[in-house]
Amino acid sequence: MQGLIALFPADDFTLLAFIVLLPLLGAFVNGVFGKRLGREAVTLMGLGTVGVAFVLSVVTFLVLREQQGEGTEKAARLIWHGWDWASISLRAGAASRISVNFSVDALNGTMALVVTGVGFLIHLYSSKYMEDDPGYYRFFCYLNLFIFSMLVLILGDSLPVLFVGWEGVGLCSYLLIGFWFQETKNAAAGKKAFITNRIGDFGLLAAMGLLVYYAGALDWSGIEAGSRNLLTPVAIWPLGHHFPFYDHLGRVGEILNARVYVSAATLVGLALFLGCAGKSAQIPLYVWLPDAMAGPTPVSALIHAATMVTAGVYLVCRMSMVFVLSPAAMFTIALVGAVTAFFAATIAFAQNDIKKVLAYSTVSQLGYMFLGVGVGAFAAGFFHVITHAFFKACLFLGAGSVIHAMHARIHDTDASQDMRNMGGLRKYLPYTFMTFAASWAAIVGLPFTSGFFSKDEILLKAYTSSIGLPVAGGTLGEGADEMKLMAWPAWGGTVLYVLGLLTAVMTAFYMTRLFLGIFYGEFRGWKIKANYKAPAHDHDHGHHAHETGPLDGPKPHESAWQMWVPLAILGSLALVAGFWNAPLLHLHGFDEWLEPVFKQASENVKTIEGAEGLMYPFVGLAVAAFAIGVGGAYWVYITRKGEPAKRFVEAAPGLHSLVQDKWRVDEAYDEVVIGSVDSLAEIAVVGDKWVVDGILARASAFIVSALGTVLRYFQTGVVHAYGAFMVVGLGWMAWLLMAPRAEAKTSNDAAAGAFSVSAAPGLGYKYRWDANGDGQWDSNDYGDKTEVNFNLDVAQSRKVRLEVKNAFGRTASTEVTLSRPKPDKSGGAFEVNPDDGTIKRLEPTPNAPTPEVKP
Amino acid sequence: VSPLAKLIFDIVPYALAFTLGALIPRRKSTFERVSLGIVGAFALLAIRVLWPNPAAAAVSAEGATEWKPLLSLIVFLPIFGAAAVLFLPRQSPHLIKRFTMLVLAVDFFVSLGLLSVEWSRGWHFQHIVPWIPSLGIRYHVAVDGVSAWLVLLSTLTTPIALYVSFGSITTRIKDLCFAFLLLHGGMLGAFVSLDLFLFFVFWELMLVPMIVLIGVWGGVERIKAAYKFFLYTMAGSMLMLAAILYMAWTHLKLAGYPSFDYLALSRLVLPREAAWCCFIGFFLAFAIKVPMFPFHTWLPDAHVQAPTGGSIILAAVLLKLGTYGYIRFCMGMLGGPAWIAAATLAGIAIGGGIIYGALVAWKQDDVKRLVAYSSVAHMGFVMLGLFGGTESGIQGSILQMLNHGVSTGALFLLVGVIYDRRHTRLVREFGGLAKIMPVYAVLFVIVTMSSVGVPGTNGFVGEFLVVLGTFVSETLGPQAKLQGTLAAAGVILAAVYMLSVVQKMFFGPLDNPKNRRLPDINVREVVAVAPFIVLIFVIGFFPNLFLSRSQDGARTVVDHYREGLRAYRETDPDSTKAVLAPRRGGPLERGYPEGPATPEPAAAPDQQPQALNAEAGK
Repeated sequence: MQGLIALFPADDFTLLAFIVLLPLLGAFVNGVFGKRLGREAVTLMGLGTVGVAFVLSVVTFLVLREQQGEGTEKAARLIWHGWDWASISLRAGAASRISVNFSVDALNGTMALVVTGVGFLIHLYSSKYMEDDPGYYRFFCYLNLFIFSMLVLILGDSLPVLFVGWEGVGLCSYLLIGFWFQETKNAAAGKKAFITNRIGDFGLLAAMGLLVYYAGALDWSGIEAGSRNLLTPVAIWPLGHHFPFYDHLGRVGEILNARVYVSAATLVGLALFLGCAGKSAQIPLYVWLPDAMAGPTPVSALIHAATMVTAGVYLVCRMSMVFVLSPAAMFTIALVGAVTAFFAATIAFAQNDIKKVLAYSTVSQLGYMFLGVGVGAFAAGFFHVITHAFFKACLFLGAGSVIHAMHARIHDTDASQDMRNMGGLRKYLPYTFMTFAASWAAIVGLPFTSGFFSKDEILLKAYTSSIGLPVAGGTLGEGADEMKLMAWPAWGGTVLYVLGLLTAVMTAFYMTRLFLGIFYGEFRGWKIKANYKAPAHDHDHGHHAHETGPLDGPKPHESAWQMWVPLAILGSLALVAGFWNAPLLHLHGFDEWLEPVFKQASENVKTIEGAEGLMYPFVGLAVAAFAIGVGGAYWVYITRKGEPAKRFVEAAPGLHSLVQDKWRVDEAYDEVVIGSVDSLAEIAVVGDKWVVDGILARASAFIVSALGTVLRYFQTGVVHAYGAFMVVGLGWMAWLLMAPRAEAKTSNDAAAGAFSVSAAPGLGYKYRWDANGDGQWDSNDYGDKTEVNFNLDVAQSRKVRLEVKNAFGRTASTEVTLSRPKPDKSGGAFEVNPDDGTIKRLEPTPNAPTPEVKP
Repeated sequence: VSPLAKLIFDIVPYALAFTLGALIPRRKSTFERVSLGIVGAFALLAIRVLWPNPAAAAVSAEGATEWKPLLSLIVFLPIFGAAAVLFLPRQSPHLIKRFTMLVLAVDFFVSLGLLSVEWSRGWHFQHIVPWIPSLGIRYHVAVDGVSAWLVLLSTLTTPIALYVSFGSITTRIKDLCFAFLLLHGGMLGAFVSLDLFLFFVFWELMLVPMIVLIGVWGGVERIKAAYKFFLYTMAGSMLMLAAILYMAWTHLKLAGYPSFDYLALSRLVLPREAAWCCFIGFFLAFAIKVPMFPFHTWLPDAHVQAPTGGSIILAAVLLKLGTYGYIRFCMGMLGGPAWIAAATLAGIAIGGGIIYGALVAWKQDDVKRLVAYSSVAHMGFVMLGLFGGTESGIQGSILQMLNHGVSTGALFLLVGVIYDRRHTRLVREFGGLAKIMPVYAVLFVIVTMSSVGVPGTNGFVGEFLVVLGTFVSETLGPQAKLQGTLAAAGVILAAVYMLSVVQKMFFGPLDNPKNRRLPDINVREVVAVAPFIVLIFVIGFFPNLFLSRSQDGARTVVDHYREGLRAYRETDPDSTKAVLAPRRGGPLERGYPEGPATPEPAAAPDQQPQALNAEAGK
């Protein structure tokens, strides 16, 4: 260990680069050369790189433990400096560097362990599951690329590097959901996932912009240092300086023009949470996750259950120092988490596709995690990430094993996932059954399993924990900018806890329904024809009128070792992992391990009085929730053979179909969001063609061509017409020549008082002047004198007259008044700016005479 | 260590990169293997040469030896090449093709000489020859951190565009080669000209071959599209010419001797109204070229009708002249109006470019039209970075120009591939192509991701820097954060329109019988697109290779921009007098066109200029 630490010092921990880059190597080799290398080589490359990355993660984890043991005050952090990526401008001309650095501390060290460990097991599983797929190499390329992106996401030392991984996992998710791209449904699901995630990514991008502006940094330590700057009021309304026309609207205008302030921390927190909601499938962006089940099942286990979807929780933990500055943002997170948990659980009741049930259960469990981190229980929320990774991966892989077995018989993707075709499979799939049972026990909260401990902790904290105001009194800013921060509502704990507890009951119920539906009762799949196709969307579930008797065909069979060994490992972890953090048994290993990471954040987290004493009553409630849920499901589906469920469906068919259609949220989004953007785009297209192009190109072309059409009539080539035009033109010119025009120009030297007036020349013009201003012509005869010169005294003025006679004897006259002002005493016309020494020419004082010209 | 061992040791990485590249293709084509191997080795070489190295930078700054005629060689090699093509026999197209490719290849390698020095503050490879002394017109070319990358982008893109054109164009090869070489020379000349008259000559020079490209080898409505392109561009050019002439005339009045030189004209502090008129003249010319809303409608028509090679050049290089011109001339010479108009124009760039362009792109059924509108959106990002006026925003814009050249060039190339096979570009004609054209599909998806701006590809870096630059921008005032947020929302729409077209073309069932037997991308097309694909990742992962070189250029732009604003603010609003600002001095004014009689002494760079401002009547 000491040798390792000497070899890889904490500030140049090269091992991280290997952990990250190995899966990338695997992805490159598999993607480019995989088809030629053959399946064995692809398997070796795919599994080998992730396996070695896992081993290295374990080593890193051990080094980290060693380091953290030395001084527990500050979180141990190992960092590898890559290369400079770009430099960014900050406010007021400062600049900051963004570097490709990877760092690891207790938080992401644990997460890396889960990602590479569970990732490796799922790779192993996939090597059998995808065995016969022609795109085997492609699959492993994507999987390795996913592990690479996920590691970049969690190990990145700054938001931009995290963002590379963040979108990278989204890309891999897109590629893997649409892995069987020849079905439009799969490709569409992939696209939906990517675009929904992008909406979240937009939030993250905006958050980065705000952080650069307010905190002045994007790397973890920089954000931590600058986080107090986020306690600044930001006016978010009105958008300009004031609302347009507010002063004409009376009282309404005043209301519309009232300034609305939000703290920068709240803005950043909500923007970040939008990103988290996209990636971790929370309301309102959860809709992509159930559709994502179109991908191969190992993908659902790895990406859409164990790792990628928990990235949002990781981000909240990572940015905890920013989030705790805003009780409003944190309460939003907790509330959205709790509501999502509850909402998704209701949908899971009515689904028959086993992957869909698991998908909604994932959404629901992710809601729990956000509930946990939202109330400031970061360690508890993050612990649920880990236990959930174990039991949900195991559930999905178990479901995959079931589907694999069913598929061998049915050869239809949809039908082999339909719970109504299963039942009694515990006989045929013993290993799958046992592991599925273990992870089922964990998710429903059987006491002393991992899910029991982690969920219980979250529920307890939901009631007892809250976020305090970051500044005393909660007032930010001064003067006109003063604002009050929103405090944690008093009813918050109760509402969050009740939602959480109800969800626990419902989880226990629907998971037991799933479990019993798959493994207990009689195998209903005998009645399915070999080339069975599910009728499109029938809503009378439970009533499949297949009257034919059992058909011949292969029996469902247990899977190969590559598939059940990962199941066994994950199943056992699902049972025992809870003991890492079991406050009930006074085991606080995990809390203590993460404590230094959340040290700064936890200063702002408040706990209600008497929280210690609440632990045992709350455990009792949690056990009761488990018992009610599981017992209820057992009673409905085993004791009464599903009768109550059927009666319920018959009693409220509308409600049932509404729930089965996922509350028709997708349809509402289609109509409202997609529909409006679509209409906007249609309008833009029409506007582009007829308004923009119409005015700039078509209308201007029309004007030119219309002018041309008119002018063409003058270009007839008929000599008579040209002659006529010429005569008209000549006549016009003659008239111009016959009318004399008198124009006088003046020039002066104001200082000396010398003035001159000159007449504009013309053909055959003669002039006579009244230069002395006595009202009499100087001489009554017209002469050739075109200019008169004279001097004026100060403050004297004179009226000069001019008369012109042209060759035809016609006359015209004009007069000019000239005056000499008093001298300007203001002096110099230059001014020197004392600041920067520039010299500015002042506008000269108008001391020149201003001639008044009268025609 | 013996020199031989050292040499071998140095060569090993390149040999490995070559081998890796050569191993990628699966076809039995030696040419493909060797080409991809060269691309691989070259990429490694580029990364190693470009890797920022402070020690080497210091050495280079001290003893910078620039071979002055380098830029002239780069610009005139294709132009003389074009002249030479005229003397080659029309009957032997192979000879003409080889000769043209050779000229372009040599030009590319010569242009790599630009990388031999650090692009520190000031002008590099400056080459000045008097041209029309009586009017003060000089042949003055030079590059800085802003224009040098664009020169390299052009010298890389044109050979690729021409090479891929040879695959689909079989008629009038001689004319094609002539037009391409002339176009190339014109574009390069416009990027490096520092004399406004010279700039205008090159600006117009490249217009002619482009119209010929569209009008001769284009689609059905090619003549109409060529007209539209010509008239739009010409309208802008005329306004710009008027502005140039006005500024040169004012300079003559003030300094007493004529000059069209950028260095001289950028000293002018025009009275406010005149400054605004000149700004509008320049801005309209560049806005049409970029194109910015609402002057963008010529672009889709030109792209749809242009042949593949023409589209690549048009998207990758020609549009950059608009953004380059805005940086150099609007921000460099008319900083005041540019700064004041920036917030409004940024609104247009976001609303009319990033969002509107994306929405319209989404609804197009012709792939080329779609890519053309996506260009409007991408160029909106470039312009937004410039309007923001922060260093990282301008850096992002410069990089985004390269990115757009790379990704959109590659997209047009790939659209050309499918057009050559099916003679249609309508999205509804395709579907499920990934099944029969797997390599093509992979390449298309990679380029799509770059266009969408997925991190790890080049597209992300530029957009990211622009968005962050917008957030901290002073120029945009109190709306900066709102505008930054709206620009960030553009990334959603980019994903919407690009992924829709990818899904419709490549995924789903292969149900159009006409597509059943389409051959996958061929050797020529792979070789042509390979450099783009490599660049997508190199820029995506190591943007600093490019940014560190353009940094000083961007900084200078920001400085001039601020100086321009200050001078504008100091001008009396009612004044009708133009003045000449003090000389900047230092490396920025090397090659200043000194007057014949009274050369003004250049102020030392560190000393506050104190010279009396010259003054003259308007």
